[in-house]
Amino acid sequence: MTISRRTFTVGSAGTLGLAAHGLLKPAFAQSEPVKIGWLAALTGPSSAPAVGFNRGVMYAVESINAAGGVKGRKIELTTRDTQGDPTKAVNATQEMISAAKVHAIWGPTNSGEALATTPLMARAKMPNLHPCVVDSLIDTGKFPNAFRMAPSNTQWDDAVRNYALKILKAKKVAVIGDTTGYGTAAAKASVEACKKDGAEVVYTAQIDATQPDMTPDMLRMKNAGAEAIISWSTSTGMAARLFNARAGLNWDVPFVGHPSLGSGEVGTLIEKPANWEKVYTINYRSCSFDADGKLPARTQEFLDKSAGKIDLKDTLLWWVVSGVDVINLLAKAVETTGSTDSEGIIKYLNGLNKYPGLFGSYTWTPTEHNGYPTDEIVMGLANSSKSGALKLAPGY
Amino acid sequence: MAFGATLASILSTGLAMGAIYALIGITYNVMYSTSRVMSFTAGQLGMLGGVLGALFTLRLGMPLLVGFALTLLCCAVVGMVTEFVAVRPVLASLDQHLYVLSTLALALIIQQVTAIEWSTEPQAFPRLFGIGSGALDEKFWLPVVACAMTMGALEWMQRKTLVGRAFLAVAEDNFAARALGLPERNLRIASYALAGAIGGIAGYAGGELMLAFFANGAFLNFYGFVPVALGGLGNNRGAIVGGVALGIFQQAANFLVGGIFASVAVFVVFIVVLLAVPQGLFGTSTARRV
Amino acid sequence: MTSLSDAAVEKPAELGHKASALTAAGPFVALAAVAAILPLIGNDYWAVIATRAAIYWVLVAGLNLIVGYAGQLAIGYVSLLTLGAYVTSVLAAGNVLPAMPLAVCFAAAAMTGAIFGVVVGLPALRLRTFYFAISTLGFATIVTQIALAWQSVTGGGIGLTGPEFPKPFDTPWGFYTFCLGVAAFATWITSNVAHSRYGRALVAIRDADVAAEANGISKSRALIPVFLLGGAMAAVAGGLFAVLQTYITPDAFTFDLSVLFFIAILIGGRGSILGPLIGTVVLTILPEFAAPLAAWSTFLYAVLLLVIVLAVPGGIADVLDFHNRRVLTNNRAIVPDPSVLPGLYAGRPAAEPLTMRGVVLAFGGVRALDGVDLTIEPGTVHGLIGPNGSGKTTALNVISGYYALQKGEVRIGDTPLPTGRPELRADLGLARTFQTPRVVAEETVLENVMIGGTVSGRAGFLTTLLALPGRGRDERELAARGRMALRAVGLESLADVRASRLQHSELRFIEIARALMLAPKLLMLDEPAAGLSPDEIARLGDLISAIARHGTAVLLVEHHADLIFAICQHVTVLNLGRVLADGTPADIRSHKEVVSAYLGG
Repeated sequence: MTISRRTFTVGSAGTLGLAAHGLLKPAFAQSEPVKIGWLAALTGPSSAPAVGFNRGVMYAVESINAAGGVKGRKIELTTRDTQGDPTKAVNATQEMISAAKVHAIWGPTNSGEALATTPLMARAKMPNLHPCVVDSLIDTGKFPNAFRMAPSNTQWDDAVRNYALKILKAKKVAVIGDTTGYGTAAAKASVEACKKDGAEVVYTAQIDATQPDMTPDMLRMKNAGAEAIISWSTSTGMAARLFNARAGLNWDVPFVGHPSLGSGEVGTLIEKPANWEKVYTINYRSCSFDADGKLPARTQEFLDKSAGKIDLKDTLLWWVVSGVDVINLLAKAVETTGSTDSEGIIKYLNGLNKYPGLFGSYTWTPTEHNGYPTDEIVMGLANSSKSGALKLAPGY
Repeated sequence: MAFGATLASILSTGLAMGAIYALIGITYNVMYSTSRVMSFTAGQLGMLGGVLGALFTLRLGMPLLVGFALTLLCCAVVGMVTEFVAVRPVLASLDQHLYVLSTLALALIIQQVTAIEWSTEPQAFPRLFGIGSGALDEKFWLPVVACAMTMGALEWMQRKTLVGRAFLAVAEDNFAARALGLPERNLRIASYALAGAIGGIAGYAGGELMLAFFANGAFLNFYGFVPVALGGLGNNRGAIVGGVALGIFQQAANFLVGGIFASVAVFVVFIVVLLAVPQGLFGTSTARRV
Repeated sequence: MTSLSDAAVEKPAELGHKASALTAAGPFVALAAVAAILPLIGNDYWAVIATRAAIYWVLVAGLNLIVGYAGQLAIGYVSLLTLGAYVTSVLAAGNVLPAMPLAVCFAAAAMTGAIFGVVVGLPALRLRTFYFAISTLGFATIVTQIALAWQSVTGGGIGLTGPEFPKPFDTPWGFYTFCLGVAAFATWITSNVAHSRYGRALVAIRDADVAAEANGISKSRALIPVFLLGGAMAAVAGGLFAVLQTYITPDAFTFDLSVLFFIAILIGGRGSILGPLIGTVVLTILPEFAAPLAAWSTFLYAVLLLVIVLAVPGGIADVLDFHNRRVLTNNRAIVPDPSVLPGLYAGRPAAEPLTMRGVVLAFGGVRALDGVDLTIEPGTVHGLIGPNGSGKTTALNVISGYYALQKGEVRIGDTPLPTGRPELRADLGLARTFQTPRVVAEETVLENVMIGGTVSGRAGFLTTLLALPGRGRDERELAARGRMALRAVGLESLADVRASRLQHSELRFIEIARALMLAPKLLMLDEPAAGLSPDEIARLGDLISAIARHGTAVLLVEHHADLIFAICQHVTVLNLGRVLADGTPADIRSHKEVVSAYLGG
């Protein structure tokens, strides 16, 4: 009922406006800013990705506005810090839809939040781009408005598993996750996929990331004969403790897994640099140094252009560039369709074919909203970070 | 072979964590002894011991000893602040339990400031001596040594020094102590400073094991209170027995049934013991009310 | 005749009561009006925020009885919200059992919540407050961990979809209307409990637990119903929360939520319903205005909590309580009116003697009571005197059950008194006062007195909850009786004043009025004249004599020898835990040892 009333109001206002002001109405629409909502977990635990995304987002918005905006329309960013709390995310989403009346929403950045906000945005037919990996978040039937800007968890899992089984040639693997929502879910999916691929999962566990010593779990993995450890945790403390415990056991089993294994913070937590060897983490071709130590040309060009404007020391490059991509992509959608109409934006995104972003080339169709190409996901050497980019792991 | 290594791991981690829990339990006890107040800041002091240790030594590059001394000093000050802000104003109405709220508020303030100003991710803690490896690594035996030394110092103080005896007198009966002319208020402030320092020692000695992490405060609040409940309120030796028992039980459960069920097991044991023996295993029954 | 005077007393009081009920309802009506026009002026965003406030209130309303009224500091109550959200969602989704209708899901959630409300509350029945606080905290951690680990049921970290409401409640404003209804219902039922003998018992446990026991209030029998209710309400709120969130994962249930619920009550003020309601609304809306401060929100909550505890322990309710700021006249006199006593004693069973035989009680090596024999006849005032430490108060405490005697026995009539069970004394017709008056400072004088009639209430908890006729009858009878008791002790004019504003001497008379609610077989008075003026002591003497004349056996522990000898028919002298002398006042006055040891002759 509410919806129909609002439609009526908007419709009648439009008719009246057209009748009274004639050509003035489109002129007003032309100068109205392009409003983008940005749901970011900027503070609190697990805020590192959003902080990285935010740097890219701010850079892109400033660049576009400095160059005169999108067809003369400035981009107006509405940021809400959700702190990774789904409750706050739901409030903020509804505010962006009903009060701020944004044209598209980027985020939220944590799966727990996205699971709650995605149905809300679908109800409002709000164009939504997000970087959350949980598979069930993309469903073109239920959420035709939601597009994934990053790989899905299955894609991540495929990359990690392929590396562990095919390149490292491990037959017996251990799969671990932390006790957070993401950790438990990702580990479970990973175990199933490994079994399907014929690998023997000799050990699997949910590990409390605050547990001070990881030796018990490492011991059990060692006793079970694991040849590679697949780790699904966003906790850097847990990663470092695992590496330290591995060194304590004089064991040289390789770790493969979540990008946090290569976070700069791990480097400060390990007891000696050698503990971080033989750790391979998810990374992307666009953010990898090749054997000659060079980044892909498109990435290098961006780094040169943005040098001094973005701090890359304590973040990951792919977070920053995907933040840039989102804003550019939405600007492009408005520019191409000539309006901020939500249906138009969604239609534009549905027709995107190999859009050349900095982070990757996105392709979406009306029935497939996982737009990140699997072959751009590679493994990197966890301890090789420079400007947020990693060296390619051996075997590529 | 594997069994031996497992046992060594359970014992080393269990004893170390047990010693940290026991020290936090003693922190609760020392505050309680002079004020009849249990303070939620006890665990936060442990957290601060780790965070400040890392801050002074790693971030600000101070020498180890200076950093250690400053950490203890800061923790003692936080202990005194607890007394001034959260304890003294509500002492008059002890039976309304307002101290639970005021100390909870102060503990949350400490935790949130640390989260915002320090980090919400665990940070590195300096390696202190670089002695030992494996199950005999310093990160395992340091908390045990710290706990033993603290306990020894406390007992020595209570037996041999005037201040220590005055503490005991106040703990026994603070009205009588005041009547005897003991400076009850100053003794209370001193005991909070002492408790702060003990909490700081717990966090500092356990820093290598627990890292400098803001969430350690809430964690230690709970696990540091379990030894108090088990050992009996105000009983330091009971806290040590309770702490070590908890540490080893937790590690064994961790090993046998895994992380999540270990905490469930600890919680269940805690509730069952409390309901069966409300005054704790080594505690005396509560005071008369009428 | 009695009924006639009853009616005469009741009528004006009833009218005044109605008027004050109307002013009390005013703010609620205003809030309801704002809630009702909200859909006409706000957008869907406001619908979500307002719905959230309503849902939180459903939980806070129940928790308010536990924290605000009973003073039990449950700080981890988000655990029960979590429980309710998961039970509802799991049953509605049908991933364990076949999918069930919403009503069944919510009923199951309420039952689970009620059960766990009691489980979490158990430590509160036996342990210090801090232990209870810690155990609720521990439980909050455990529930989240179980939700994460039990993947097959809860979906683990991926969570599961919340239930969906059917038309017309499937739109934001439709669901808002539903939640508003539930919130209004929650307000009504908790208010029914709060303003009943159950509510008064809770407050008595909070502020005067020793007196509560003497008035027949058993901690567990008073607390378990509210733990059940609070748990059920929290779980229902959890179900609604899941609907609002559309999807639940363990990380939606943060400790910050617990803190919010808890602080809403304390900001609102303990022992109030309006205050916590306003607190809940404010704390739900505030973060929406202070979006840039998101990172500091918990910090600000904590500061708020500290400021409230230290500066305004009474909270919003205290600030809004204009009624109690009216100036009381300073030179008011207590003029007891024993003529109403017959009304209080009408229809009571005949009084019986109390006998102590060979009672022994030792603390460590000290025999505080060393074979005491004592008989207190109905209709007499029996004085108990002796030097400090002679065992007078100890004897009182053995009779009242605070101390468990080690040898001997105490009987009222032929019934032996159960050892060490103070909460069973009121039922047997024993009442007492305390050396330091133990009254609930936050409640009105009348409410304090009505606590004395707790055991005579007949309406059960459910009857009270739903305000069925039995509750109203109970309340009317208790209030009328309370006013009569106040008139008897001479404090009727102060009936609606908060007890904290009274003078010390007046508190002593409140305690006597409270004891009179029972028309007791035995009334124990522990130094009732301490701190009273000579005039007041004289009136007190008359009042005590009048009470005894109605059949009550009065045991009077007192240091004012004049009062003892003026009104007692029988005096016992204790020394070092033994009976030194026993007889009429005249006997005692001439007893050589007594005179030398105690009367200082």
